[in-house]
Order: sequence, then structure tokens, then C-alpha cells
Amino acid sequence: MATGAPAARANDRIAIGVLRHLRGAAAFFVYLRTMLAFFVVWAIIAWWTSNSVLLPSPLAVFAAIGQLAADLELFFHAGISFARMVGSLMIGALLAIPLGLAMGLSRTVGEVVDPTIEVLRPISGIAWIPLALFIFGIGNALPLFIMTYAGFFPILLGTIAGVRGVDRRLIDAARTMGIPQRTIVTRVVIPAALPSLMVALRLGVAASWTAVVAAELIGAPSGLGYAVEWYRELLATPQVMAFIAMIGVLGYLCDLGVRALARLFTPWASDARSAP
Amino acid sequence: MGTINGSIKLRLAHVGKRFDAAGRAATVAVDDFTLDVAQGEFLVIVGPSGCGKTTVLNMLAGLDRPSAGSVTLDGREITRPGPARGVMFQDYALFPWQNVRGNVGFGLKHGPAGAGLASDARARRVQDCIDLVGLNGAEDKYPHQLSGGMRQRVALARLMANEPEVLLMDEPLAALDAQTRLILQDELLRIWGQDRAQSSRRTVVFITHAIDEAVFLADRVAVMTTRPGRLKALIDVPLARPRNDATRASAEFQALSQHIWSLIRDEAYRATVT
Ligand SMILES: Nc1ncnc2c1ncn2[C@@H]1O[C@H](COP(=O)(O)OP(=O)(O)O)[C@@H](O)[C@H]1O
Ligand SMILES: [Mg+2]
Repeated sequence: MATGAPAARANDRIAIGVLRHLRGAAAFFVYLRTMLAFFVVWAIIAWWTSNSVLLPSPLAVFAAIGQLAADLELFFHAGISFARMVGSLMIGALLAIPLGLAMGLSRTVGEVVDPTIEVLRPISGIAWIPLALFIFGIGNALPLFIMTYAGFFPILLGTIAGVRGVDRRLIDAARTMGIPQRTIVTRVVIPAALPSLMVALRLGVAASWTAVVAAELIGAPSGLGYAVEWYRELLATPQVMAFIAMIGVLGYLCDLGVRALARLFTPWASDARSAP
Repeated sequence: MGTINGSIKLRLAHVGKRFDAAGRAATVAVDDFTLDVAQGEFLVIVGPSGCGKTTVLNMLAGLDRPSAGSVTLDGREITRPGPARGVMFQDYALFPWQNVRGNVGFGLKHGPAGAGLASDARARRVQDCIDLVGLNGAEDKYPHQLSGGMRQRVALARLMANEPEVLLMDEPLAALDAQTRLILQDELLRIWGQDRAQSSRRTVVFITHAIDEAVFLADRVAVMTTRPGRLKALIDVPLARPRNDATRASAEFQALSQHIWSLIRDEAYRATVT
């Protein structure tokens, strides 16, 4: 009997593994079926309207994706937009994280800065485009500015919430070890706030990526938003939709990337959810 | 009443603590609490939940200031936390981003406890403390990968690594199952040094709501009552050291436990109906 229990447990584990695979496969089939239904409905509507500018058939869009991928135009614009997003996110994080730390740690700083933040926050990045056009003109600076602006607020608010939410007991524990205040900030408060900072970064990526099209639509000579606008003027709807699809896929991949980063930097936070 | 042997390490003199809440009546958590703890003494505070045990410990730790009276260490007023008084918190307060080694060595690496220690001496002390609590092999695990009993051992090792003169422990065994609890009581006494002379032992203030645990560990038991939190009685525990399972089975142990239970029984019953 002594060996029976672990063996049974091993069997259970295998069974759970198989089940999980089956569930994964089943989910994939459900997904395929849904997508298929989506494309069928799309094809029927396209055939019925029979206006390829208004709504091209799925096949036309797939053909456009293939052609744009083959001459690398799709990847060229995607790369530029992606680089702008990474750049603006870095600027945004560099500004928002220190400010958020200061606001979270010091009541005074929080109270002084908060009113400004609360007034600016509801203004969408897009609302700044006309003004930004005057200041930056058309080029890299305008989309960088708009995307930084969009990503800044989620990162700032997440940082503040993270710092304020640090378990009091952890700080007390460090204080009873006689650890100096500055070291407590760098070695306790910041690591303890890191999981919510990663969530904030995820929201920042989403916000800044959502702003990409609007920012590039008007203010940039390249990028996914620019390409959408370029092909719209040519009435080439399949190409327009190909670039829109690229925006969706790339946004999804960025989100997966940030989540992978979070697992890498804060393994205790992501593992903890599956722990008993 | 309890008698004190040796020099006084900690002194609580007419200590009161009230928490003022906006718009509500203030809570008097602790009232006129007077207690001396001798150097090398193992003092246990028992009392029902909410009687102010943690509040007393926080004031000894310097995490909280008394509203009345004074709290002193070696005759000097305690105004803030310091490395001479190590605390083991009720919920362990381990750093989740540090593995066992990082948690145990945290104070040595970032605090005054490690000042003047070379890094290999530090690493050796960390390893010694990990071995002391029986966690060798788990050095690279993170708190969320450990059982409650193991976390508790990490917290104990972290406390010991800083070598504080005074150990303040807030219900450290409360979250454990009965067996683990007995084992850790034995280990705690071993680590504390119950085989050594009193002058070379550390001073311990240990909180629990379990009477048998109090009697097993303590030189003296301070019994508290609720609302306001007051010291009701100080009981000497003259059981011989080293203590072990035979101690738990002895008639004297049973009699002392019974006596303490009789002191807080009425209140404990009242607490179950209110
Ligand atoms: N920070 C606080 N603010 C208000 N009331 C508190 C605070 N801390 C403790 N209390 C109150 O003081 C009393 C004693 O609490 P505590 O010392 O935690 O008791 P114990 O540790 O014995 O369970 C309780 O009634 C509790 O509600
Ligand atoms: Mg308590």
C-alpha cells in the first residue's frame, strides 16, 4: 500500500495532463469553427453587396495579405509601428514610473501632482493631434508623442496603486531589521510593487497601441496607420483590411510578450495564482 | 505572582494604547499594562483573540508608540524599531520575491546586522541558520512554493540570522497543524538554547492563544484579559529544562494549564457568545 498512493497520484497526474490536452484541442476546434462561421458569413455578405470597395471578400483580403507579405511592405510598416510603440513605451515608463513612485511614497507629492493628472487623464491622446501637428509637424515625433501620452497614464496610475498597496508588514519586517529608509524603498517597496507595475505596463502597451493608428493616420509618413490611410485613398479595401488585421495580430502578440516578461520578472506573482 | 530572576531587559510601565478612529469612540486596546522581562527569560503572553497581544508586541518592537506609560529596553525608551529587537510576525511577512536564502540573509545584506561581515562569513551564517531550522535543501525555493510549516521555519531562520538580543514572536505557530506545532515547539526551545545558562540565552516575548503551548515554552506566563487589554495574572512555570514530551505528560504541566484556563475561561466563553 505504501507504494500504491504515489503510483495512483502519478496516474492521476497523467490523466490530468491528457485531459488538459483534450481540452486544449477541443478549445482549438471550437475556435476554428467560430472563425469558419465568421468567414462564411463575411463571404456571403460580401457576395450579396458585391461592392469590393465597401466590403471585399475574405479571399481578396487573404490575397492582399499574401502579396503585401511577399513584398515585405506589411512587415516594413509593422516594424516601424512596433518600434515607435516600444520607443514611446520606454519614454512613458521612464517618466511615469519615477513619478508614480514619488506620488505613491509621498503624500505631499501625490497631493500636489494629482489635480493635474486628473485633468489631463480624461483627454484622449487623439485630442492632442491637431496641436501636436503644429508643434512637431509630420514625422516620427508626433506618433511618438501621442503614443507616449496614451501609455503614460495607465503606467502612472498602476505604479501609484502598486506602491500604496505594498503589504505594510513587509515594510515593518525590514524596519525591525534596522534597514535604512532608502534601502527599504529600493529593496522592499519596489519589488513588492513590481507585480502591479507589470499589470500597469500591460495596460500601457494596450493604450499606446490603440493610439498608433490615429497618430500615424495623420501625422506620420510611415507605419501601419499611414499604410491604412494610403490604401484607403487608393480605394484598395483588401489592403486596408490586411493592415488592420496586422494591427490586431501585432497588438495581441505585444500583450503576450508583456505577459511573458511579467512571468520572467515576477515569477512569484504569476506562480502564486496556481499554487494552493 | 511571577518572580523575576536576573537583570531587567524589557520594561513596560503603566502602558496604555488607544486607537482613535474618526467619528467613532476610541478603542482602548491596552490599559495600564505593567510587566518586566528579565534578561534570558522566555516570557509568553496568552489571552483571547483581540485582547491586545499584538499591540503590546508592536510597542516592544517600536512599530507603535504607547499613548501612556513607557516601554524601555535596558532602561532606554523604545521609540522606533531597531535591530536589537527581532520580530517574527503572525503572518510571517516573508519577502515573496526572495528565495529562502535571500529571505534569511536579507537583514545581513541590507541592514546593520551584517555590517563588518565579509560576504563568505555572511553566507556561512545564513546557511547555519537554514540548517538550524532544518530547511537545508530548500534554499532556492520561494515562499509560495513552501508549506506553512516551512514558511514558519524561514521566518525563524531570518529572525535568528540577525542575532537580535530580544526575540519578539507573534503567534508564530498559530497557522500550523497540531503535529507540526509540537515539533516546532521543541525546536524553538532547542534554538533558543534551553540547555544553556540563562545569562547566555536570548530574551523572548512570545505570543500565543494556546495555553498548553504557553506552559510548555515559558519561564513565566502573562495572562491578558479583553477590553480593555489588561494584565490579569503572571504565572511562574517552574517546570525543569530541558523540556520534552515527558514534560507535556507531567501532572504539573496539566495542573498549570488547568489553572491558566480557569483564569480566562469565563472570558473565553463570553467571547463565543458576543
Ligand atoms: N490599528 C488599529 N486601529 C484600530 N484598532 C486597532 C488597531 N490595532 C488593533 N486594534 C484593536 O485593538 C484591539 C487589540 O488588538 P490586537 O492587539 O491585534 O489583539 P490580539 O493580537 O490580542 O488579537 C482589538 O480590539 C483591535 O480591534
Ligand atoms: Mg494578534
